[in-house]
Amino acid sequence: MHNESPNAGESSMTEAEIDRILSTRDDIQPSSGFTAAVMEAVRREASVPPPIPFPWKRALPILVLAAFALALVAVAGLAAIVQAGRGAVIPHAVSSMPPVSNLIPAGLGAALAWTAASLLGAYVVVKLSMRFAGGTT
Amino acid sequence: MSAADDQAAIDRVLAGDISAFEQIVHRWQSPLINLAYRFCRDRGRAEEMAQEAFLRAYRGLKQWRREAAFSTWLFALAANFYRSELRRIPAHNISIDDIHEPADPRASDGGLEDDDRDRAVRRAVQALPEKYREALILFYFHEMDVPAAARTLGLPEGTFKARLFRGREILRGKLPQLLAMPQLKEA
Repeated sequence: MHNESPNAGESSMTEAEIDRILSTRDDIQPSSGFTAAVMEAVRREASVPPPIPFPWKRALPILVLAAFALALVAVAGLAAIVQAGRGAVIPHAVSSMPPVSNLIPAGLGAALAWTAASLLGAYVVVKLSMRFAGGTT
Repeated sequence: MSAADDQAAIDRVLAGDISAFEQIVHRWQSPLINLAYRFCRDRGRAEEMAQEAFLRAYRGLKQWRREAAFSTWLFALAANFYRSELRRIPAHNISIDDIHEPADPRASDGGLEDDDRDRAVRRAVQALPEKYREALILFYFHEMDVPAAARTLGLPEGTFKARLFRGREILRGKLPQLLAMPQLKEA
């Protein structure tokens, strides 16, 4: 590594000089209390209880259920949008379909049902998580 | 204390005897503090960084794969921590890009004492761009052992040599100006 420079003469002397300077050890000595300070920190670290791992086993069924409910809501929402879109694009077909005014209560009913279901789901999740976390309720 | 002693001490630590870690600290405190000092050039900060490196080593002892020497693992862990720490809070260095030609080039022969010049060169290393600075620091820390320095940085030897070469090129090119700069002459 010492003779990598293509330059000769003065610059190689300079490189040698840099090597000499940077190879010279200008070491510092550890202060007298260094080991004690490290060991104190290590003992403090060892005395701290390990972090509680996330309860995946318990949470997984709830998470799966929540994901499933979310997917159902998304599908229902998409279906409602598609249905509304069809109604708007084909005005001539309206005569063969129920009037729009008839659709609103049905959509509202479905929305209410989904809202109730999601509220119930949220309630169950809160109750279960409180039970797992605190061991009460 | 030898590598076998290191291993025995670590086995005891892993078995729950925390006091055995003191042997590790005793053996490696000086190299770890001095490596930190080469990175930051600040004695107090070097000790703080070395202490944190030991703490991280303690936490990660289980991750030491015994096919590599403990010192290799410890230096790599410490160097990585020092690098990230200096990225977070840089040492007070002058950037190499801020170094311009002196107004009077003859000023570079201005009769610097050897100690002043040595200090100026060491400070100039601190002013190099990060990747070249790290390569130079570890190269000289490992007494010009390229494989050991490359292992500590986790780099292929070829990459390490390229960085070392480039770093020394920049340093050599800037040296006349560096030696003429009063702020680099200060210890």
